[in-house]
Amino acid sequence: MKRIPLVSGIAFLAAVATASDHNNLEKGRPLSFDDAYSIAYRSVEFQSGVSFETYRKQSPIYGLKTEVQFGIAKNKDISIGFEPSFMTSSGKAGGNAVELSYFEGLSRETSRAAAMGYRLEMALPVSGGKGLDLHARGIITKTLNHYDKVHLNLDITHATQPTSDEKRTTVGLILGYSSPIGYPKLFDRTFLAEIGIAQSREAGSGWYGWVGVGLRKQVSATGVMDVGISSDFFRAANQERSPFRFTLGFSRSY
Amino acid sequence: MKLLFFMALAATLSAAVFAQDLPKWMSNRGRDEVFYKRAPYNWAINRIPDFARDMFATGVGHGMAYEALVTGKAKELETKTFATIDAVLYNPPRYPIDENAISPRFGQKYGSLEKVFDWAHILHFQAIDVLAFPGWSDAQKEAEIDRLWEFYQSEPFAVTGLPMNMEYLDSFSYSGKFRREYPKVNGLFWGYHWLQTVNYDMLYRVPVADQRGQYDLIGKWYRETELYRTDRDFMPMTAELSPRFAKRFPQIANAFDNLHMLHDNVNDILAQENLSDQQKAIEVSKAIYRVLASTHQDEASGQGEPVTLHDHRHPITVPGMGMMKGSDENTMYMSGMGWMEMGECAHCSILLPDTGPWGATVSANGWTMTVRCLMCARDMAAETPGRAIIRAATEDDNKLLVMISDEEGNWTSNIKDVVFLEKFGEHPECSTWSRAFTSKAAFDKFITETPELEGTTPMTLKEWSEQFHGKPDTYRKIDKPNPYRSADGGQL
Repeated sequence: MKRIPLVSGIAFLAAVATASDHNNLEKGRPLSFDDAYSIAYRSVEFQSGVSFETYRKQSPIYGLKTEVQFGIAKNKDISIGFEPSFMTSSGKAGGNAVELSYFEGLSRETSRAAAMGYRLEMALPVSGGKGLDLHARGIITKTLNHYDKVHLNLDITHATQPTSDEKRTTVGLILGYSSPIGYPKLFDRTFLAEIGIAQSREAGSGWYGWVGVGLRKQVSATGVMDVGISSDFFRAANQERSPFRFTLGFSRSY
Repeated sequence: MKLLFFMALAATLSAAVFAQDLPKWMSNRGRDEVFYKRAPYNWAINRIPDFARDMFATGVGHGMAYEALVTGKAKELETKTFATIDAVLYNPPRYPIDENAISPRFGQKYGSLEKVFDWAHILHFQAIDVLAFPGWSDAQKEAEIDRLWEFYQSEPFAVTGLPMNMEYLDSFSYSGKFRREYPKVNGLFWGYHWLQTVNYDMLYRVPVADQRGQYDLIGKWYRETELYRTDRDFMPMTAELSPRFAKRFPQIANAFDNLHMLHDNVNDILAQENLSDQQKAIEVSKAIYRVLASTHQDEASGQGEPVTLHDHRHPITVPGMGMMKGSDENTMYMSGMGWMEMGECAHCSILLPDTGPWGATVSANGWTMTVRCLMCARDMAAETPGRAIIRAATEDDNKLLVMISDEEGNWTSNIKDVVFLEKFGEHPECSTWSRAFTSKAAFDKFITETPELEGTTPMTLKEWSEQFHGKPDTYRKIDKPNPYRSADGGQL
C-alpha cells in the first residue's frame, strides 16, 4: 500500500493511548510516541487533528486524522481511525486508510520496573492501495527523577502486498520524553519531546531521523488540546527531508 | 545477626500467609483504570465553580502530601509541603487533577491503594454531579444515586457500604501518629474530608438555583477555618455533616467514612519511621483489605462483635455511621459539640419526629445538627457566633427551605413567599406549632386543618427572624468526658 512520507514514516497508524488527560500521552497527539497505558475501561475517546508538512522541492502535505477509541476491558482498548492526507499540487488524497488498533497495557510502573505495553495495528486500504499494513509497537514507560518520564517505542511494520518500490518490513525506534509544566502551581499542561529513527518505506532508501517537541493542555474536564512541531534531521540521499511539520489536535473522552 | 534473620523470616512468612487472604486484583500488574458512569450529569459540579475548584484542589493536597511521605521528605511536611499545598488551595485548579501524576512515586509503591482511592473518588464526584444536575427531578436523582452505588460496587476495589467500627479502625499500633506529628497537614486532610462530606446536604433535594449561594458561605468556612483546624478530635463523618443525605443513602455515607478512615490509616503507616518499605506495604495492604466490600460480603448492617473488624453496628437512628469511640446505640461524641443523643433534637432534646415534617438542620461553626422545628433551628443558630445555614422541611416535600444568615442574624430565604407559623407552646409539640410554609395559602390551609391553632397569623421572614426563645428547659446536656482526650486535653 503506497503511502506518503509523513503518514508512512512518522504518523504511522492510528493513535492509541489513554483517556483525555494531558498527562496521558497518545501517539499522534501531537508527537508520534505514546506511553504504556491504555485508556480507561468503558471510556470512549474521540480524537481529531490536522497536520501540515513542508518540503523544499515538493508541495506541502495536509493531513486530517480522526479516531475513536474504546476501553473494552481493564488495560485494553481498541480503536478505529481514518487518516486521509492531501497534497496541494494535485488536490488529491495522498493516502487513505482505515486503521484498526488493539492496545494492551501489560503492567504499570512500580518502584522496581517500568510500565510496559504493546499495540497491534492494521491499516486497510480505502483508495487505491493493495494489501494491509500490519504494525506492532512495544512500549516502555519509565519515570526518571520525579515527574520526568521517558517512553521507549519500538516499531515494526509489515506490508502484506508492497508495491515494487516499497519495502515489505521496516523498523523504527522512538525515545519520547514528557514532563508536566508548572508544578506545583499549574496542573493542566505537559511538555513532550521526541527523537526517533526509522527505516524508510521506499525500496533502496535507508534510515531517517526526526526530532519534535509538543504541548498537551487540558481545556476542560474531558478535553485536551495539543500542538506539536517536528523536523527531519536526516534522511537518505535519495529522499527529501521535511524541515517542518506542524500538528494541532483535540481529544475528548465520553 | 541470627535474631535479625529470624525476624526477617517471620515477617516474610507472615506476609506470605497474609497475601493468601488478599483478593486477586490486589496483585494485578495493570493500572486497571475504570471510567466513570457515562451520563448527562457528568461534571455538573462545574455549575458551582468555586466548589468545583476547591474539590479539584483536594486531590492536589492528597497527592503532594503522600509524595512527600514516600520520597523521604516527611520532615518538610509541616513547613515546605504545607506551604506548597496551601498555595494551591488558595489558587485552586480549574480542572480535575490526576493524583497519579502528582504523586508518581506513591503510585509506584501503592498501586492497589490508588485504585481504591480513584474508584471511590469517582463515586464522590458522580454523586455530586447528579445532585448538581439541573435536568432531573429529586426522585430521578435519588434513583440515579442508587444506581451509582450499584455501579460502584461492581468493581472489586469498592469500599464496603457497611458501617465499620471507627474505634477499631483507629486502634492499631500506628494509629494517631500522623495527626500527632503533622497536625497542620492532618488538618488539611480532615479539612478536605469536611468539604467532601458537608457538600451533600448542601445539594441534596436543594433546587439547583439555591446550591451556589450556600457554597458562598460553606466555601468561606472551608477556606478560612476548616482547612486549618488542628483541634478536631476525629475525622469528620458524613452523617455528622450531611445527616439528611446519610439517612437516605447510608451505604454511601458509610463507604465515604470507611474510605476516609483508610486515608488516615495510610497516613499513619507512612509516618512510621521504624517500618521498612516492605512492612509499610504489608500494613497498607491490610488496611485496604479491612475496608473492602469483598471482605465483608454477606455481612449485615447492625450486626457484629463490638470493636472488631466485622462490627457493623451503628447508632439506632443513624445507619449511615459506624460506632465511634465511646459511643453506644444512642449517643456519640461529636467534635465541637460534645456528647449528643443521636435521635433527639440537638436544641431541645425532644425526640426527632418519625412522621410529618422531618424538622430542620442547622449548619454553623463547622458542624451540622438536626433539630425538630424552625424555632429550634433559628434559636440554635442565634446562640452560635457567626453565620449559619438552615435547611428545613416545608409543607411541600419537594420544596426545601434554605435560609442563610449574616453576622447579625438577618436571614435570606430561597422561597420568596415563605411564611412561618410560630405559636410558642410546649416543646414536645414544637414540630406542630413551629413550621415554615411556601406561601400564605399553604399556611391558611394548615391552620384550617389544625383547629388548636385557629387565629394564628403568619410571620414574615423578618418578623420570624426577630423572635428568640433561648435554650429550652427541656434541653439536657450529656455530661461525659471527651473520649479522645485526656484530662489535660492531650490526645489519647
